[in-house]
Amino acid sequence: MKEEKYILFDQYLQGELTDEARLDFEKKLSENHELASEFETFKEVQIQLETKFDFAADRDAFTANLKTISKEHFEPEKTKVISIKPWMYMIAASVVLLLGLFLFNPSKPGFEEYNQYENAYLTERGTVSENLKQAETAFNAKDYKAAIPFFETVLKENKSAEIQYFYGVSLLEDNQIQKAETVFNEIKSGNSIYKNKAIYALALAKLKQKDYQSCKEILLTIPSDYEHYDKVHELLDKLD
Amino acid sequence: MAKNTVHPDQYLIEGLANNDSAIIRSIYKKFVPKVVSYIRNNSGDEDQAQDVVQEIMILLFNQAKAKQLQLTCPFDAYFFLLCKRKWLNELKKTSNKAVTISDDFTSTNEPTAEMVSQTEVFEEKQQLFDAMFQRLGEKCQEVLKWSFTLKSMEEVAEKLNVTYGYVRKKKSLCTGQLTQWIQEHSSFKSLKK
Repeated sequence: MKEEKYILFDQYLQGELTDEARLDFEKKLSENHELASEFETFKEVQIQLETKFDFAADRDAFTANLKTISKEHFEPEKTKVISIKPWMYMIAASVVLLLGLFLFNPSKPGFEEYNQYENAYLTERGTVSENLKQAETAFNAKDYKAAIPFFETVLKENKSAEIQYFYGVSLLEDNQIQKAETVFNEIKSGNSIYKNKAIYALALAKLKQKDYQSCKEILLTIPSDYEHYDKVHELLDKLD
Repeated sequence: MAKNTVHPDQYLIEGLANNDSAIIRSIYKKFVPKVVSYIRNNSGDEDQAQDVVQEIMILLFNQAKAKQLQLTCPFDAYFFLLCKRKWLNELKKTSNKAVTISDDFTSTNEPTAEMVSQTEVFEEKQQLFDAMFQRLGEKCQEVLKWSFTLKSMEEVAEKLNVTYGYVRKKKSLCTGQLTQWIQEHSSFKSLKK
């Protein structure tokens, strides 16, 4: 099994295997070229992850410092005076004109710019229900219509905010907006980690119906510590 | 990784990795002017030269931090060739003019060419990795991010409000998913020596 293989890789690297299991794994590595190559890639991925995250703060500091030094280095030479020719004024004037047109005729943001959802990972915590698995697969394949009946079956036995959320998203995507709103409102009244996601989804439902005013009002109720507040902020900006 | 002896200029690489301002300034003073004049003589301007230099410096920082940068040739030639090739690639991307970058390596001695190609391979792998990482689901991204930021998996579990067993498993599986995609990616095969 693929999953067991990766778990074994990680346990080996973390030094969590018994001596026996470790020797057995090393033996397999020496015999199986394909496994060894995969293990090499796995190790490389770990190094990349370390580089990406462990040094993130260092990298930011380095980049900032680099920019300052670079500016110091290049600035002294940048004092050339550029003479403005008449045709340049023409261009500048037309740019201002175009900008004006753009500003006074702003386009409203569209639902399609914001309906990107995380994948559902619902079946990894112990008991696996076939319906849940099907729902997850259909959802992640963006086949929302197909996912809906599976979610409905699952929710009859096992109601969790997480499953409800993905059910709601499927409804929203399938244009069953009222039904979707009912589901999101129910999550909203609870206290799960999906609460803010549900409120955001309610705003998206309004956006989909081009009800910009309600969309904005709902967005304003999302607390700023919401994990995807940047999207909220961006959408609010565009609605203004 | 080359097993040749490390060149004395390695201190410049260490300086970059340690964000040592004096070293960074000295690189700008000693090695950057040559890059700038090359780019200005090849359809570029000073701003573009500044960008190329910054990109290469950040690349070297990353490679050094990943402990994969052991200089076996003089920094001067290595740095110049990296910037030059980056610039020629930029030109190739932005213009329709045919730009040939084929025979750069012929005029260069071998350790330098070898060093430059190591760094370029590192960059390509990093770009591939970043692209694949973006393909992961939100939960995977989150678990991996915290797994490689916080000190222990217990802290990660606490942070994400899930069990230790769950984050451990998720971390292994998400790293595994990346492994699988990268293995499948054809360019990885050609990059892997």
